[in-house]
Amino acid sequence: MLPLHKHDKEYRGPGLIGKITGWMRLIFSEKTSRNIFMFLLLNLSFAFVELSYGIWTNSLGLISDSFHMFFDCTALLAGLAASVISRWRSNENYSYGFVRAEVLAGFVNGLFLLFIGFFIFSEAVERLVEPPEVRHERLFLVSVGGFLVNLIGIFAFQHGHNHSHGGGGDHGHSHGGHGHSHGLGFEENNHKDHGHSHGGDHGHSHDSHGHSHEPKQNASQKQIMQGVFLHILADTLGSVGVIISSGLIHYFGWMVADPVCSMFIAILITISVLPLLRDSIGILMQRTPRELDDLLPGCYQRVSQLEGVYSVQEPHFWTLCSEVYIGTIKLEVSAKADSKYILSQTHSIFLQAGVKQLYVQIDHAMM
Amino acid sequence: MADYGDNILPKHAIYRGPSSTAAVYIGLLIVAKILRGVGLFLAYDLLKLIPVVLFLFVLKAGATIPLVLLQKPFSSGKPITKNQWFRITRHAFVGCILGVLWMFGLSLCGPLRTILLYEHSDILVIAWGSTLFTNSGASPAKIRGAVCFLVAVIALLLFDHDEKLDNLSDHDSDHRHHNILTYMFYHVINIVGWSDHKGGVVLLFLTLCLNVGYNSAAKKLSVDVGGAKRLHSLSSLIQAMILGPWAYIVSSASDSQVSWISMIFPLALIILFVFIFDYYIEAVSVVHIQATKTAEYGAYAMFGGALFLALTWNHPYTATMTSMNKLQEIITEDHVLSAGVVFSLGAFVLATKILLGPVRSNKGNFIGYSMDGMPMYSFTRDALQQTSQSLVMHLKHSLKQVLEDNDSRKIFYFLCINLCFTFVEMIYGVWTNSLGLISDGFHMLFDCSALVMGLYAAMMTRWKATRIFSYGFDRVEVLSGFVNGLFLVVIAIFVFSESLHRLAEPPEIDTNRLLAVSVIGLLVNMIGIFAFRGSHGHSHGGGHGHSHGGGHGHQTSHHQSHNTNMEGVFLHVLADTLGSVGVIISSLLIENFGWNIADPICSLFIATMILLSVFPLLKETSCILLLRCPSDMENDISEALNKVLNLEGIVSYRDPHFWFHTSSKVFGTLHIHISPDGVEQKLISQVSAILKDGGLHSVTVQVEKDEYFQHLSGLGANLDQNSTNFPLLNFDKSNSVKAV
Repeated sequence: MLPLHKHDKEYRGPGLIGKITGWMRLIFSEKTSRNIFMFLLLNLSFAFVELSYGIWTNSLGLISDSFHMFFDCTALLAGLAASVISRWRSNENYSYGFVRAEVLAGFVNGLFLLFIGFFIFSEAVERLVEPPEVRHERLFLVSVGGFLVNLIGIFAFQHGHNHSHGGGGDHGHSHGGHGHSHGLGFEENNHKDHGHSHGGDHGHSHDSHGHSHEPKQNASQKQIMQGVFLHILADTLGSVGVIISSGLIHYFGWMVADPVCSMFIAILITISVLPLLRDSIGILMQRTPRELDDLLPGCYQRVSQLEGVYSVQEPHFWTLCSEVYIGTIKLEVSAKADSKYILSQTHSIFLQAGVKQLYVQIDHAMM
Repeated sequence: MADYGDNILPKHAIYRGPSSTAAVYIGLLIVAKILRGVGLFLAYDLLKLIPVVLFLFVLKAGATIPLVLLQKPFSSGKPITKNQWFRITRHAFVGCILGVLWMFGLSLCGPLRTILLYEHSDILVIAWGSTLFTNSGASPAKIRGAVCFLVAVIALLLFDHDEKLDNLSDHDSDHRHHNILTYMFYHVINIVGWSDHKGGVVLLFLTLCLNVGYNSAAKKLSVDVGGAKRLHSLSSLIQAMILGPWAYIVSSASDSQVSWISMIFPLALIILFVFIFDYYIEAVSVVHIQATKTAEYGAYAMFGGALFLALTWNHPYTATMTSMNKLQEIITEDHVLSAGVVFSLGAFVLATKILLGPVRSNKGNFIGYSMDGMPMYSFTRDALQQTSQSLVMHLKHSLKQVLEDNDSRKIFYFLCINLCFTFVEMIYGVWTNSLGLISDGFHMLFDCSALVMGLYAAMMTRWKATRIFSYGFDRVEVLSGFVNGLFLVVIAIFVFSESLHRLAEPPEIDTNRLLAVSVIGLLVNMIGIFAFRGSHGHSHGGGHGHSHGGGHGHQTSHHQSHNTNMEGVFLHVLADTLGSVGVIISSLLIENFGWNIADPICSLFIATMILLSVFPLLKETSCILLLRCPSDMENDISEALNKVLNLEGIVSYRDPHFWFHTSSKVFGTLHIHISPDGVEQKLISQVSAILKDGGLHSVTVQVEKDEYFQHLSGLGANLDQNSTNFPLLNFDKSNSVKAV
């Protein structure tokens, strides 16, 4: 009696080329991943242009900035990978499928952003204490370029944003952005231009979870989308901040404008990322879904009012990925209660609240 | 209470929205506060010419005249007894000392810093103190505000580089040492090693606290005397009398040739702005708008005005305006506007907002008055569950909790060692003025954040499950392991890329002192490794009882259970150790052989090691987070499921979901389909027993009979949807039953 299971052969072609085309098909088959992929390409090409220009003009600042952008792209890549992984079929080990990859990717991206924000902030504080000479010749051009890339990101994803209510999952990751490159560690060089707003970007694919099989996307999703959108906005503001600060430095020589702008950016990033982190941590910790907080007590009451039900025990409700709720519950019922009736009623009560997968264990009281 | 009639409430109980009259008072208040700021800026300029005590005497004397004229404390009101006179004199005496301290602080720190530190209302300071040190009024928001306030003061103390002033004070400090007070002050400051304005910051902060105590102590006296205003005028009269002789001595001792005529106008302005105008406007505003609002708006206006003035005070335009007063010779640029000041201004504003903000859900919502006229509150859940604690109590509690458990105790001790080392390093760095040591210290501080997270997670896992987190908080452990792992990956990548950079162009490295620091760091980390290795090794034996609870006894599974949180912390410490080893080796090589390239190669090696060691942890935690079925339990589970099938009365099962909740707990859910004559209760207990034998901690079994399926298919597409969302698991095709 060996267990049989079918592998998802169709997505894993045997050869390398087959594999790649399979991946591409998978990416292009859906709007979220397609958007991310396009934006990733855009970013990469921007980074390459910057890199080659940097090598050509032998500007260390530009080169290190472009490396930073590559690093930023990894976040986008992670978002892309997550949006593909989340569509893998479930297998015996991952009985719920891989939908949680999105939550995880959102969480990772959020953490990254938090780190970045923290580093920018600490560096800005350092620079407030002793403002360094900022070289701004090329910085301005680069940041305008980054700003444009960002704008494209915003429009692409805002578009997706509107659509998403129509049921597409969509848009995962944000925009581009903002470059906080400074920070993490490459010291000197990029301090010079810490602005680099080039379109970096971290993509948060989180919440998007683009399964098209999810028919209803409602208010809660909207809130998450709003958070993501705010985040994009914050990043663009970041580029604007860099542009402004380089303008101020250029015309008035206010060296302090640079750290103040980056502090502002850091705070915006941190604030915009907190809701995302809170949500994803909640999901990963099997929190009772926020949307069900108000509904559940009513449901328990209705269930316990069913004929023959004595009590509701060990209710566990949690979120699999956004909008998919799973619940387990134990009912203590009288010995001669009609368990079929109770079972189907319980299911329908919780279905109304939005819990699609429910496990009801009916315990007959021994009396 | 009984006096109140049907719906006559005490005035302050009714919330009055911002009306037009309130707006007028707020406007007045703002103007008064800004003028007070102007006065203080003027006063600072004058203080450079006139000794503190003499200046204060002139001010008090000048302020007394209009106050006495306006209040007529002698001709109106009830007569004052001898005892009251004594208390007023005492009040005035303390007021004098505080005033001198205040002016002295002003002369040390400059007007902007003085305003930031000293111009806080009593309510704010009292709210701050009660949040930190007592049990009342400590809601999380208030604690946040209090911490913000502290941060602001500390920022003013530490991050404020006022170099110009430091230079300046070197010159004139010799001629300032002309009275005992200043002499003692400078002596103390010299011992501590601060610059003048830092001493001034501390002085002003202490004076602020004293002043609040003084004002609250004066409340009873002012009632006895017959009004705060009367007390104020009397007290300022006596203060002027007390200061008179002292000022005379000071002025005769010092040979200042000040032309008093040119100062009459600015002095009059200061007296008017600082002592008269502000006092009356504030008194009026408190009556017409709420006291907290008054304090809040006043503080905002004061800070904003002070910032504006500080930016423009030395500007040519202002200089021409003040030159009307023939004072331009004393206007020198000092007390630059540093970033630390701006930061602490922001923090003060935030603290003011939070601390003076409305108290939410702490005491419940006020809903009205009962029949007897007693106020009624509706307590929200939070208010009932969370007993409010002061910060100190809270710390004591959590410390006890930390020390209770083996894991968290280890982390805590190690954290303490690490922090000590960091502080020693930083202090040594500051002392020897070595930038490398200081930045290394900050690095270690950052590393400590991983430890703090691990500690917090270890504590959180022991929290009880709540209604919201119905499975408890065990998963924090996994999350913290994951975050720690990610952290390490980021660090490793940065080390890697930086060492590539350096490989291309090896920089000169300054190796002196580096060796000693890294050896000590290695020792500290070794302690950590041994401590955590212990728990790490033990965990395979099934120790670390907390995560198992009672369930461990009858658990027969062989799956390795270990604490991912501890593993994350352990890896972090390991990475640090590797780092110090690398630094030691490379600095030895550089010193002895001059191989500068050894440093990047070592870092490359270390980064690779870190990455390799972290991947298992990342893989494990992300599997758990993705709800993977435990790999080493696959066989157990499928065996158990087979056993379930063999039970009498069971037709099939579907939707088996088993997943790691934490690395040691496995939860599962299952639907079983039984024959119409099967006994449900017996089957449920049998199935759960079998599954628990298979190593599961918590199982929910749903029993379904044929009629149920028919019923559901009648209800609609519920099960269809499920099966398309999450394709059924086919452990064995013949056993899986499609829903419809």
